Amino acid sequence: MKMKKNNLNKIVIGSIAILPLFMEMSCKKDFLDITPKTQLAQADAFATPARVESQVNSVYNGLKSGQFLGGRYQIYMDIRGEEFINNLSNGVTGLDTWRFNVNSNTNEVVNLWSAAYTAINRANLLIDGLVANPNSVSADLAKQYTAEAKFCRALAYFELIQLYAKPFLADNGASPAVPLRLKGELTAENNDLKRSTVAEIYTQILKDLNEAEADLPLTAIPTRAHRNAAIALKTRVYLAQGNYAQVVTEANKIVSAAAPFTAATGNINTLEAKISAVFEGSYVGSEAILSLPMTDLSAPGTQNQLAYYYNVAAGGGNEEYYFNTAANGIYSNPALSGATSLDARKGFVGISKTKFFLTKFKKPSPYTDYVPVIRYAEVLLNLAEASVRTGDVVRATALLNAVRHRSDPAYTFSAAETSTPATLLITISTEKRLELLGEGFRSFDITRLNLPFPAKGAAPAVESTSPAYIWPISSGEIQNNKSL
Amino acid sequence: MKRILQSLMLFMSILLSQAFAQERVITGTVTDQADGTPLPGVSVVIKGTKTGTQTNADGKFSITLPRGQESLTFSYIGYTAQTVAVKGSILNVELGGDAKQLGEVIVTGYGTQSRRDVTGSVASVSGEKLRNQPVQSFEQALQGKATGVSVIQPNGVLNNPPVFRVRGFNSISLGSYPLIVVDGLPVFTGDQSQTNAPSNPLGDINPEDIQSIDILKDAASTAIYGSRAANGVVVITTKKGTQGKVKVNYDGWVGISNTQRLPELLNAEQYVTLKNEARTNAGQSQAFALQKLDDGSTLNTDWYDFAYRTGVSQNHNLNFAGASSSTSYYISVGYTDQQGIIRKNDYKRMIGRANLDHNITDKIKVGTNFNFSNSFNQAPSTGSLPGQAFNTGGLGRLAIVLPPNVAAYNADGSYNVSGSAIGYGANSSAVAPSYPNAAVLVNEDKFTSENNNLIATLYGQYEILKGLTFKTNYGLNNLNVESIGFNNRINGDGYASNGISTNGTVKSKRWDWFNTLSYNGTIGKDHSINAYVGYEEQHTSVDGWGAQRSNVIDPFIDVFQGSYGTIVPANLVQGENSFRSFFTNLNYDYKKRYFISGSFRRDGLSALAEGNKYGNFGGASAGWAISEENFFKNSGISKLVSMLKIRGSFGKVGNAGLSDFAALYLYNPGLYGTSAALAFNQAGNPNLKWETSKKYDGGLTIGFLDGRINFDADYYRNNIDGLILNSPQSPSKGIPNNSIAANIGSMYNQGFEFSVNSTNIRKGSFTWSSTLSFSTNKNRVTALANNNADLFGPSGLETANITRVGYSLGSIFTVPTAGVDPATGERIFINRNGDKVRFSFARPTASRWLYLEGANAGAVAPAIDATLDGKITGNAIPTWYGGFDNNFRYKAFDMNLGITFSGGNKVYYGTLAGLRDQRFWNNEVGMLDRWTTPGQVTDIPKVVYGDNTSNGSALPESQNVFSGDFLKLRNIAFGYSFPKSLLPAKGLSSVRVYAQATNLVIITKYPGPDPEVSVNGNATASGNSGNLAPSVDRNATPSGRVFTFGLNVGF
Repeated sequence: MKMKKNNLNKIVIGSIAILPLFMEMSCKKDFLDITPKTQLAQADAFATPARVESQVNSVYNGLKSGQFLGGRYQIYMDIRGEEFINNLSNGVTGLDTWRFNVNSNTNEVVNLWSAAYTAINRANLLIDGLVANPNSVSADLAKQYTAEAKFCRALAYFELIQLYAKPFLADNGASPAVPLRLKGELTAENNDLKRSTVAEIYTQILKDLNEAEADLPLTAIPTRAHRNAAIALKTRVYLAQGNYAQVVTEANKIVSAAAPFTAATGNINTLEAKISAVFEGSYVGSEAILSLPMTDLSAPGTQNQLAYYYNVAAGGGNEEYYFNTAANGIYSNPALSGATSLDARKGFVGISKTKFFLTKFKKPSPYTDYVPVIRYAEVLLNLAEASVRTGDVVRATALLNAVRHRSDPAYTFSAAETSTPATLLITISTEKRLELLGEGFRSFDITRLNLPFPAKGAAPAVESTSPAYIWPISSGEIQNNKSL
Repeated sequence: MKRILQSLMLFMSILLSQAFAQERVITGTVTDQADGTPLPGVSVVIKGTKTGTQTNADGKFSITLPRGQESLTFSYIGYTAQTVAVKGSILNVELGGDAKQLGEVIVTGYGTQSRRDVTGSVASVSGEKLRNQPVQSFEQALQGKATGVSVIQPNGVLNNPPVFRVRGFNSISLGSYPLIVVDGLPVFTGDQSQTNAPSNPLGDINPEDIQSIDILKDAASTAIYGSRAANGVVVITTKKGTQGKVKVNYDGWVGISNTQRLPELLNAEQYVTLKNEARTNAGQSQAFALQKLDDGSTLNTDWYDFAYRTGVSQNHNLNFAGASSSTSYYISVGYTDQQGIIRKNDYKRMIGRANLDHNITDKIKVGTNFNFSNSFNQAPSTGSLPGQAFNTGGLGRLAIVLPPNVAAYNADGSYNVSGSAIGYGANSSAVAPSYPNAAVLVNEDKFTSENNNLIATLYGQYEILKGLTFKTNYGLNNLNVESIGFNNRINGDGYASNGISTNGTVKSKRWDWFNTLSYNGTIGKDHSINAYVGYEEQHTSVDGWGAQRSNVIDPFIDVFQGSYGTIVPANLVQGENSFRSFFTNLNYDYKKRYFISGSFRRDGLSALAEGNKYGNFGGASAGWAISEENFFKNSGISKLVSMLKIRGSFGKVGNAGLSDFAALYLYNPGLYGTSAALAFNQAGNPNLKWETSKKYDGGLTIGFLDGRINFDADYYRNNIDGLILNSPQSPSKGIPNNSIAANIGSMYNQGFEFSVNSTNIRKGSFTWSSTLSFSTNKNRVTALANNNADLFGPSGLETANITRVGYSLGSIFTVPTAGVDPATGERIFINRNGDKVRFSFARPTASRWLYLEGANAGAVAPAIDATLDGKITGNAIPTWYGGFDNNFRYKAFDMNLGITFSGGNKVYYGTLAGLRDQRFWNNEVGMLDRWTTPGQVTDIPKVVYGDNTSNGSALPESQNVFSGDFLKLRNIAFGYSFPKSLLPAKGLSSVRVYAQATNLVIITKYPGPDPEVSVNGNATASGNSGNLAPSVDRNATPSGRVFTFGLNVGF
């Protein structure tokens, strides 16, 4: 019995010694509550006005993704056209877009779709969040931020349907376009949503832009939306719908009746004296209506950069695409390739091993050229075209000359180029190709009129009736959205 | 009290016997059956008593045998115990076998158990099996060594972590690597490198230091690890010193490795002919031409020479082991320097270990296991790591894609380059390659990773009462990985940036502290109890940072510290998680006949959502040793069947392999130009909870002829519920990464496992023993997210795997094809409606796809879509696998013959699509059979320049899917042990020399280099689990074979 008691003592003493070790050794109540040190909980995203504004910037950042308007969108829109020849046969840098061989799995089809909708969801989340957190910023700021989000959403939808939907003019917008998402998505719900029609998407775009126009600030550094930006974008949207009268109406809000053409209100938008100023220096001068800023720490990303695709090796580029020197390519225009051309835009042509390259975008790795999305020259040319189509040849010619003479002051268009509305339209179109080369307009200007894509190099011509004329819906959407 | 009395009685009886009994003195020597060396420290005990002695340094013993006692039992760690009847006064005994026999001790988590008492399913591999193997990490040598254990070497890159699975793939999105526990500490696994040179931290454990590996497979044995047990638990015990003479061992080998079964490629002439024919067929001008060299010969470049080589390797280990009555020690140092078959792929490791155990008093014991390793790996960009399959700079791809009619070097010795790509030589610039020059990349790029890995444990234990022990164990794993990358400015990925240098370092730290209170004892005579309770905490943090500098200021610069134009941050990592656990375990048996055991564990994990952090796990098992029953012992069958035991188990365990912050909704601050930009970055899930597996196991162990043949059979089934899926979202929702982690989905694995351990022949000096293991696995997905929506498994730019309800995980998914139309030479595809459609790249875009037959023959058909027209072509996970390991010994000669086999699965040979691509890419010689004339029957379509569809680059196609069945002569070794009399120097106790070949022969119908392949590996890094895309062979560098010559010396 004595033995037993000793045992008991030992157990008691032993247990007392050991017990603390069995208690929570770390003594920290939050041992299992660990949050990341580099990211914020969602609950904190509307906690300060600075964070709300920071979220506004992230919507623009969504647009700025290298997979979208930060580079690849513009590249796809240009290489579908006849201006460029693929140099490297690299499937990762647009080969199948260039030769109209994409399918729903092709990386450009999948990635751009996703990038555009990421931007759209950020806009939707911001709009919803401002309603849900009414005191996070002042009422005025809330209105402005909502307007900016709507502007960005409209821009994203507009660019999206230029690639993934039939042109409006093909059937007045009756074709299926893309799912129209207007609510912020956070959860696993709502995977299924049918495609809205092209017309429905345009209606929403115009609604967003009209609402944005009312609430956007009159002036802003053009890396963010301002009133003139919404108006300028509307000229592009109405052009796509063939609503030329509305193009004129909208453009008149920001283009004076006569040269020198200038916006009377808001940002004092006008053409820069030299086109070179647009692509060097501040990037946010008077001509920039919306430009996406790039810095070393906020760059477009690998194989997304305009300069990487187009510039010569000596300029830091990878020479992915060179000019199509055939007669139908814009390079054959004397303004670019004429030996005697005095056109300043000829300065954007570089040469490497007998091939000609676009050197408009110049910054070497990590390629920090700001990416122009809307600039005043486009508005003038949109207005010029609409003016011809609505009967105002005189103003159209003046607008055309404004763009041409900025780069070649001595140039005089021949009568053959301008005498009839039909020839004038062609000249304006050519001027747009010259002026906005590499800025992502060529495919848009072909498809909005339902025109065929001309053949170039080893790439075939594509009729507007061909399935290849537009991109298929992304495979990820096909796989997960059962209501398509 | 009772015990003391017993001991007293025993003591007295010994005294009495000393005094009165007639006794004999027996002397003898105990030697190693293998090489005849004396074994010191062997325990020699009189059978049925506790009386005994040990052999001395020369293996000699002397013992007094009382009258009436006729047998002595000899036992020694690492050898099979023998009981020998005494005849005469001299008894020489040879001990043989290498540990893993019934009766040995196995390590089951926080305790140990005798093998014969185990009622769960545990496979054990002795360290001896890992010795002398030319591997970087121990698990590479486990192929075919144990049932239920599948180890797939993904490709030929050194120290690339293998796909290591226990009883199938047990998760979809989460980590599926087994939990690796080294001397009580769960260590880091998976590729830790941030560059092209992979770093498997398990390479930082010297295989030569491993005493045994116990692989816990079923719920009963794994449940003690609760939430981390779903993928099985691999318990590694390192060596300890044993009493007796100090043992010093040296093991060393040198080896060479080379390639095998590389696809045969077109030579320059064949290439030019074929590609020009393709140009003509596309309506284009001839653009390819042979290049003449200055000496008039024709240039013909074999790009394999620039990618592969014969590697030379060496490995040295030295260890010291010994023990006094109170202290034991094992100290080892190792050095390995291995060259891969890929140029510039070198692995070096310096490693040291000290294991010490010391009894402070009878009741207090302390010890430590301390391992430090410095390992260094260098590799070029091989394109063989997860996510890299389509890298243009991948050497595996460059070697097959580069034209044979262009040179690596110009006549003046400079590199042949044109911009970022190789120069086009005599070809037209219209067909200039877009791929870089392999010679530049191999020579000028540099990618290394270096680990400094500390794995250390410290324990103390106190025996409070007889059988009741308290143990505290603290473990530390500090892993620093430095990754260095340089992309040269001349050619390839660094060209456009004028040179890129990327350095990063990751510090991974883990501490683990557990305390257990255990009881081990017998109640009465027949009730054995082994039980413990414990508490454990574990904390892991990972912090990494680095930067990328580009645009070298002067061309000579090739290190990060040089001067560059720009710098941006890179390789930033921040993670942290912690576990808190309570656990208990009970093993009970009655008369060693009836066994039950159970364990329970409650785990909390920081990564799960508030309110769901804790989970309860547990398992139970029971066994019946029929052979211990009297009716069995008395029956005639017991002469043949010496051991018969049946067992069964079930339980519930979890998978903790989810990312640290998976449950949280997160916003990430970024930059828009220079302004702050806070973006939605992760859709969280407040309902995220444990992914659990319910495991069932039934098994049978039979020993024949006194253990000469042992047969094990198991049936297992593992139902995994609440699978955490990165549930794919419609991209139009704009959810970051288009996925949300959720507990949706379920799956099961089931199969049989058989193993036979036998000594087939033991006749005189000749023995042949073998181990045959055979396992089957059936995997079926039974539910998925989003109304059972399919999951797709990408391999870089291509998706050739699908996970669909009713099928095996990651099944091969391709567009069905039906050969080549003899009339037109066009590839025939079968679309979603079952219509045959032919394709020609030579036609205009709108009419490339035409109906082959039927009413619409010749009419334009909709283009084939990989997703909509794709079909499941077969399961990608092997359904059977195993090994047959043989050891032969004749006198001083020994031979090992190891065979492994695997099959029942399909492999997508995506590389073949590239090998037949009709861009400028070089092709394999099979292309020479292309269709050229109407009526010709062939499976190679007409060549059309630019065509990447007919042979499978644009779409994964079924003709590139092949059976993955194979049989490999994994290992063959011949050894000779010098007889002691011939040993050249004093002090040597044993010398063995051997020659060995690894991966010598592959028998398979697979046309690629090796059907044991997985370009996606474990691939959890990119957010996509490699489990979604197994058995894909896409542009990877294959595995080679290794010949080694080695020496084992005992001092």
